[in-house]
Formats: sequence, structure tokens, C-alpha cells
Amino acid sequence: MNDIAASPAPSAPPLRAWSGVPLLIAVLGALFLLHIAVGAKSLPIGTVVDALTAFDPAEFDHVIVMNLRLPRAVIAVVVGACLSVAGALMQGVTRNPLADPGLLGLTAGASFAVVMATALFGLTSMALIPWIAAAGALAAALVVYFIARWVPGGATPLSLTLAGAAISAFLAACISIAHLLSEDTFMNLRVWLTGSLAGRDITVLVYTGPWLAIAMLLSLALARQVTVLAMGDEVAQGLGVRTTSLKLQILVAVVVLTAGSVALAGPLGFIGLVIPHVVRLYVGADYRWIVPYSALAGAAYLLAVDIVARIAIPPQEISTGIITAMVGAPLFVHLVRRRSR
Amino acid sequence: MTSLAPARHVILRSPRERIALRLPVRALVVIGLLVLALLALSAVSLATGSYGVSLNELVETLRGITISRAIDNVVWEFRFPRTLAAALVGAMMALSGAALQTVTRNGLADPSLVGVSQGAALAVVAVMVLFPQLGPIYRPWLAFGGSILVAVLIQWLSHTREGSNAIRFILMGLGVSAFISSITSALMTYGEIDRALSALAWLAGSINAATWGDVLTLAGWSAVLLPALLVMSRAMAAMRMGEAAAIGLGAPVQLVRPALVTVAVGLAAIATSVVGPLGFVGLIAPHAARRLAHAGMGFHLVLTALIGALLVGAADLIGRAAFALIQIPAGLLTALIGVPIFIVLLARAQVRPQ
Amino acid sequence: MHAGVGRKDSVAAAPSRLEALSVDAGYAGVGILKGVDLAVPTGKVTILVGPNGSGKSTFLKTLARILAPTAGAVLLDGKDIHQTNTRAVAEKLGLLPQGPVAPEGLTVRELVAQGRYPHQSLLRQWSRADEAAVNHAMKVAGVADLAERPVDTLSGGQRQRCWIAMVLAQETDLLLLDEPTTFLDLKVQVDLMELLASLAHKTGRTLVVVLHELSLAAAYADHLVMMRDGQIVCAGAPKTVFTAERLREVFDLEAHVLDDPVTGRLVCVPFGARARAALPA
Repeated sequence: MNDIAASPAPSAPPLRAWSGVPLLIAVLGALFLLHIAVGAKSLPIGTVVDALTAFDPAEFDHVIVMNLRLPRAVIAVVVGACLSVAGALMQGVTRNPLADPGLLGLTAGASFAVVMATALFGLTSMALIPWIAAAGALAAALVVYFIARWVPGGATPLSLTLAGAAISAFLAACISIAHLLSEDTFMNLRVWLTGSLAGRDITVLVYTGPWLAIAMLLSLALARQVTVLAMGDEVAQGLGVRTTSLKLQILVAVVVLTAGSVALAGPLGFIGLVIPHVVRLYVGADYRWIVPYSALAGAAYLLAVDIVARIAIPPQEISTGIITAMVGAPLFVHLVRRRSR
Repeated sequence: MTSLAPARHVILRSPRERIALRLPVRALVVIGLLVLALLALSAVSLATGSYGVSLNELVETLRGITISRAIDNVVWEFRFPRTLAAALVGAMMALSGAALQTVTRNGLADPSLVGVSQGAALAVVAVMVLFPQLGPIYRPWLAFGGSILVAVLIQWLSHTREGSNAIRFILMGLGVSAFISSITSALMTYGEIDRALSALAWLAGSINAATWGDVLTLAGWSAVLLPALLVMSRAMAAMRMGEAAAIGLGAPVQLVRPALVTVAVGLAAIATSVVGPLGFVGLIAPHAARRLAHAGMGFHLVLTALIGALLVGAADLIGRAAFALIQIPAGLLTALIGVPIFIVLLARAQVRPQ
Repeated sequence: MHAGVGRKDSVAAAPSRLEALSVDAGYAGVGILKGVDLAVPTGKVTILVGPNGSGKSTFLKTLARILAPTAGAVLLDGKDIHQTNTRAVAEKLGLLPQGPVAPEGLTVRELVAQGRYPHQSLLRQWSRADEAAVNHAMKVAGVADLAERPVDTLSGGQRQRCWIAMVLAQETDLLLLDEPTTFLDLKVQVDLMELLASLAHKTGRTLVVVLHELSLAAAYADHLVMMRDGQIVCAGAPKTVFTAERLREVFDLEAHVLDDPVTGRLVCVPFGARARAALPA
């Protein structure tokens, strides 16, 4: 009798939404090439394209591209896309504009788990790292959620964020202490812990890649239902969404995406917060668009940030995580300030 | 009638009532016990370390009798200033937290949570890295300037038309802190490696390198800031009732509020300038003081200062003794203790409709 | 019988001690009050009513020097209250702000003792006069039995009585109260208003109260002030200002005002459009 109530959330005009896709892909491609081209030894874009299309092992520049620069660019693309999608899903499912894998403690949980496994059990197997990171991220997510539930007023965006910050601070102190206690084990983890894309081992991608791909596909498949869920549990149930099962699937996707990213690049903050908000300005509230746009925009963003990190103050390189925080923290303050509750 | 036994008090009145005080017995006893505990902790701290000193040797040394050059050196030049610095820093951070919690009427406030410590850190690191020729003498002033700027920024940001909400205020502080910390980290990347390393040690909140000069800095500033805090204690008590009620009672709120913020920031900044940011001490100590004994604002501040001194003293001692040769900075241990307490406080936070 | 209204008409009016002279005030550049004049009658209960946003609380805050006027002045005993030492003001004028929250764990006695602030100094915090005033205030407000209980464990009505005791311990002739009855049960509201009225009528204190409840205001006001859009629309004894026309003018409220034959108090009976249609013409 009332078909207005049954219609899904207002979606962005499809034409406008589609029109952004080629543009975004073009920007992503350009940044990808630029990312490979810049560095201690600048390479012409033409050489980069040559190396990628017609690789010549005898050519020194081609070796630089394939062995040093390309892995880093690929990791930036993957991590940027995964963290942004994880952030978008979290914001949708918790109706919390402050949600971000870093802010809600998932990143810290994943880092902590990897560090402890390395320090206590001498973990060396690359294959296990994604799993351990995932377990850590999941545990941290649950702890943060239950703490926030415990706060009077329930798991509101503010209490969730505060609980996430507290757990992150705690785990960071634990990591620092573990670091001090067994310095040798940490030689290779040290750079990783600052959230840097430098010197990443591409073999980790072999182990995490498949899982990330599955999680990414799952996210795209769930996106339509997230739009409905973002309108509230009751509304979603009324529209025939099985909310509990959906939330569980989203949790799995978010944990896998976060854990894979942390395994690849260490803890990088604020990407999952920033990108979905920017994307939303363009495509509106429909997660069918927000999720793929976040993936593309996140990948482009992390490439851009990493370019800045490498060329800002030569010959040094700033950790990528420092720049994402520098950009993300002001947005975070703005979002907290805007909340009227 | 109620089942609660009324707290016992001793009433002290001079003949013409120039002095007329109501002293809480329990608080006085607790203060006595805390002083004893602090003395005991200091003795253990002076005796403990890679070079063991027995209690007898310690007493002799403190009386000025030289047992051996090495013992004299270890006790007087290293452990004594370090122990004193830990106690002073702890007391200052604790009082800073108490003052901030009163001004903001927010039980979750702590100098390191609202960005004050990070502001001090940024100012100090910036100068350490960019102008290494400037000596550590200027550090307290730099730290103070940086902290004040951040405190003003956060006050301005969290002041919205609907008034400020406790949790939002803290989140705002966290966001600003994250931003400032990222700049600090970037500066350290930029700086030469050895300068960055000395800044890094300082940033972890370590009391390792405290010297007599540091103790003098801490004591000198405390001698100015602590009496100021005591003078304001009556107005602080009134301000706990809310701004309007405090004005109604005749407290000079317009004057005391900025003065209190300045003193709180000053205490945290000076402490930070010497040992680096020490998290959560200012958060825990006032709450612990309230649990241990019910008292008026003046005694509450004394209790808070003693607890802060004990807390940091213990953290420093554990940090350097627990794992023998490796020193764990006190700041990491206070974070480990502080976070669970923060979570408990968060869970009990009153959600105030403003 | 006529609890509020009757008896003061026979007494010669004492000069007003608290006056607002064409006061403008507001927050952050947004003007709310526009040229408000009021001479608070001494020894009486003055009640401010008005719709939300009418400026009644803003006006009370200006009277209490919480908010400085942008134009005009508030005079306490002929002197500008915003130019006078705030502690000297606190010896004459007490304030109960809206929705006060006591710090966690504070006992009733400690809260009430806080009212002695303007009479104390750093070293003189518990004189005999302080002790006597606190005990007396708790007795008058009816919270003496609760003295050692933490305030945050009490019911809303008990808590509000503690705050009133705090203001009483301040021993001021003038008391300003901002919505002291909001969120309380009706019975508790009536008890509180009885307490406040007796303070004025038995001990000669001057009260200014902001109220939300119209019927309570009409019942307990000696001097009723109706505000709208930052201005005083009318002021006077309830008998003269609490009329159906005024309620429509100030609140946009369609209501009948009845005179209760038993208590002699005015009662307003609001009705909506449907009820009006059913009324005889």
C-alpha cells in the first residue's frame, strides 16, 4: 500500500557515477607510472612503459623498474584499495562516520599479533603472517566493540572511536616494549611498524593476494545490502535483509582486507577514514558506487601519498604512514567537531 | 538513617577563627602512608641497579660518608637525580591532570590525551632537529609555548554552540595529537640520524638521563606553579559544580579558568620538556586519590601529587630493574597501566545532557 | 487560603534591590534580549515564564551576572552588578543554575558547605558560622537526614533540595533559580515550590524563578513575568496577567483560565482546535 517506504536509498545519478570511472582509472594509471618513474634515480615515463611492456633484463633501468619500483607501486595500489574499502564498509555497517580500520584498533591488533608471533615464537613463515594478522585484527575489533557496548549510551561512534584509540595506545606500548626486549628479532620489523612502503617483500603479496581478492569481491557483492543496512537495522530487516548474517560477512571482509594490508605495509592510518568521505561527496550514499570508487580512489591516493613521501625531503624518505596521518587527522577533527551529539 | 558511616573529621580552629579547618582523618592517614611509601620506594630505587648498593651502604652514603668512589658516583650523580626527577615529574603530571579535569569538568582529561604533551614534544623536537646548537636550557620554555598553543587550539576547536561533550573533547584532542605527532615524526626523518635518535629516546618518556640540572628545572618551576595551584584550590572546588554555579558562589571564574589552564599546561610542559611525554599519569592519579580518601580540594591535590610521584617512581624503577640491562621507558609502563583504567573510567563516564 | 497572592497587597512595597535597566544580551553575537526592564519586587516570588527561546533563562543569567549585557545594566542595590566584585555580589545574591550536576561522590554536606564559598578563605574554611549555616540550610531544605550520603545516589527531587540547601547556606537575601522543577514528578515540583514560597513569605527573601510549568507559575507567583522574543510582554500579579488573551499572545496557546474555587488559584486548561470547534460559541 505504500511503495515509497520500500524503495532503496536514493542512488546517485548513474550517468554521473559512471562518468567518474574512466577518469579515476586514468588518474590511477598516470599515478602508477609516475610512482615508478620518480625516486633516487628518476626514469623517463617512456622507459617505465617499455620496462613494463617489453622487459629487457639486460637494461639496468628495466631491472630497477621490475625488481624495485614495480613491487612497491603494486603494494601501494593493493593496500590503498583494501584499506579504503574496509573503511567504507565499516562506516556503512556501523553508521559511524568515524569508522576506520586504524581508528577502531584493527590495524593495531594485526600489528600486535604479528609482532608477538615473531618475538615469542620466532615466526618466519610468510604464509602464516596474513592469518596471524587477521586473528589479531578480529580480536581487537571484538574487544573494542565490547568496550564501547559497556559505555553508558552504547556503541556510539564516539565511544567506539575512543575505545579504539585506547586499545591502540595499549597495543602500541606493548609493541614498543617487545621491541626493546628483543632488538635483534625486530631489525626487519622496525621499518614495517612505522607503516612504510619501502623495501616491502613482494612474496607476501603471493600469500595475501588471493585472500584480498576474495574479500574484495565479497565487498563488491555485499555493497548493495550495505546501502540498506546504513539506513538502520529495522529498516533493513523490514526490507528483507538478514542483518546478522550480513554483518558477519562484512566483518569477515573487513578483517581480511585490514589484515592483508597490515601484512603488506604495516599500520597505515586514516586512509579508510578519508577516502570514503571524499568518495561520498561525489557519488552520494549508495554503497554500490561507494565501494568500487573507494577502491580506485584509495589506490590512487596511496600512490600519490607514497610519491610525496619519497620526494618531499630528499635524500630522506618519510614513512608513508606519517603523511596519511598528516592528511587524515585534520579531517578526523573536522568530523568529530561536526557531530552534534 | 543511612548505613554509610560518616567520614570522620578533626576540626581545627584558632581562638579568633583566623584558621578554621575541617580535616578529614582518613585523608591525613593516607597522606602519611603515601609519604612513607614514597620514601621506601626512593630508598629501593637508590639501591637498585646494575651496581648493587646495600641499605647500610646507602644510608652511609646519604650521610656523606664515602664508602667507595663508585658508590658515591652511582648514588649521587645518577640514581639520586633520577629518583627525584621521577617523583617530581609524576607529581607535576598528576596535578596537571587534576587541574585539567576540573577546568573541563571531564574525568577523562589528561595532558597527553588532549594534545598538551604532544605540543610540547613537537616544539622541543623541532628545535632539537632544526637548531641543534640551542641548548637544553630553552627546552622548558619551548615546551611551554608549544603546549599553550595546542591547548588554545583544542579549546577553540571543541567549543561548539551546543557546548562540549566529554567524549568529543577527548576525541578532538586525539585527532589534534595524531596530527602533531605526525609532524614530529616527519621532523625526525628529516633530521640527522644521531639527533633524531636522541629525540627518539626523549620521546618515549624516559627518565634515564635525568641530571641535577633537570631536577633544578623541575623544582624551580614547581616552586612557582604549585603554590599558584594551591591558591586556586578553593575556586577549583567551586568550579567542579559547573561554571554558572561557581560564578553564583562568587568564584572569579573568568580569572581562574585561564590561570588554571596555564598552570596545568605549564606543569605538563615542564615535565615533558625534561623526560618526554608520560601518558595517563594525569588521568589516573586524581581518580586514585578520590578512591583512596574523600577530601576537600586542597587535600585532594596533595594526595594526587603523591600518587603521581609514586606511580612514575615505580614505573621508572620497574622499567630499569625488571629486565636488567634493557631499560623500559617509564612512559610505556604508565601507558600499560593507564589504558585499562581509562577504559574503566570511560565505561563509567556520565553522559551529560548539556 | 490564598497562599500566594493575598497577603502582600496590604504591606507597603519595599524598594527593589535588583533591577534590570533596558538590558540587551545574547550569545556569540546573536542578540536574544532586547531592552528588558524589570524591578524585582523585594520579599516576593517573581516567576519568569515564556515559550522556549523567549529569553527567560538568558534574562535570569544576566540578572545573575553569568552573562554580561551588551547594552543596559543590572543594578544590585543601585550598583552595576557586572562592575561589582563577584564575591561581594555572592554575599547578597545566590544562584541555582539549570540542571546542575554534582561531582561524583560528593556528599550532601560537602555540597551544601560549598555554599559558604563567599564567606570563607584558604585558611578559614569551617568556622562556627559556617557549620551553623550549613546545618540550618540542610534542615530548612529537608535534607539533614541525608547529610552523609553521596549526592549522586539520591533521587531527582532530593538532589534538587540539596542544591537549594547549598544556595541557602550562602545566606543571601536574593535567590535566583533557573527551572528548579524541570524533570521532576508533579508532587515533588509542588513540594519544592512550597519550600521556595515559604522562603519568601516566612523569611523575607526575594526569589526570581524561571519555570516551565504554567500552572505552577500561576499558583506560586506573587509577580508573574511573561516573556516572548526577548522582551517582557506583561508583568504583574497572576490575577491580572494570567489570562486567556495573554496565553494566546505569549504562548500561541488556546486555553481557558479558571479560578479554582477551593484554593483561589488560577488554572489553565489548554485545548486544541477540535475542542474549540465543540465549544458553544
